[in-house]
Amino acid sequence: MRQTKDDAELDDFGRFSEPALLILVSLAEEPRHGYSMTEDIEAIAGVRLGPGTLYGALARLEARGLIEPLKSEDRRNPYRLTTLGERALRARLDSMMAVARTGQRRLASA
Amino acid sequence: MTWLLRLYPARWRARYGEEFSAVLASQRASVGLVLDVLGGAIDAHLYPQIQHSHSKPIQEKEEDTMTLLMLQRCSAGGPKLSRRDQRIASLFMIFSALVMAGLYIGLTKIYHSAPAVQALFYASVPALALIYGETAYLRKRPWLTQAFILGGGLLGLYLFMLAVCVIGSRL
Repeated sequence: MRQTKDDAELDDFGRFSEPALLILVSLAEEPRHGYSMTEDIEAIAGVRLGPGTLYGALARLEARGLIEPLKSEDRRNPYRLTTLGERALRARLDSMMAVARTGQRRLASA
Repeated sequence: MTWLLRLYPARWRARYGEEFSAVLASQRASVGLVLDVLGGAIDAHLYPQIQHSHSKPIQEKEEDTMTLLMLQRCSAGGPKLSRRDQRIASLFMIFSALVMAGLYIGLTKIYHSAPAVQALFYASVPALALIYGETAYLRKRPWLTQAFILGGGLLGLYLFMLAVCVIGSRL
């Protein structure tokens, strides 16, 4: 997949790449806390992230400034996308769509 | 199940502990869940993300887990590893894996499935974890100390597996 500078923000996540992308997609709609994210991700992608995977990816996203925590009254801390996170998600989705379009075109002409 | 949280570094727990517990409590207990949390705990120890966080720094708690105490006891520079330490330990672990694989293949050709060979096979995975940990955390200690602790650990592990294989072959 061809990468842009923004897209490269999601590099170096190792096994947390896919969970991180799913978290960004989930937060693109509205700020959510961990439990709400796992429910939303299960609904949109059909995978239920375990807490170890979820927080491994969340910690990486937060450390790179792609998401940020919001203040909360209870113990469930919500997170939201930062501007950097939004750019990174947009860039990654654009490159994925470009690959998907090419694949569809080639299948159609095969 | 929330006892699994104790496996995470204190700093990590201070930052994510409460919300992590809430998510953990919402999931049904299963082997997969335990493995997921264990994997997350190992990751949090090996690649702590907290110190690079863009959010406000978390006040470090003077709380010790058994894991932290063990690491602090045998480490010169504390439980936090630099990227360089991690890289060196990883390279050493990969090299050891290749040596063990070669040794295992060679011994299998000569002795087939003798208990001593089987023990080498079973001991190899925990041995690699031991090699990584000891190489990373003891790097600043004198080489004699490193050799003694690592050699002793590997020997103990091998002897244990050998005993298990010998007993298993006689049952």
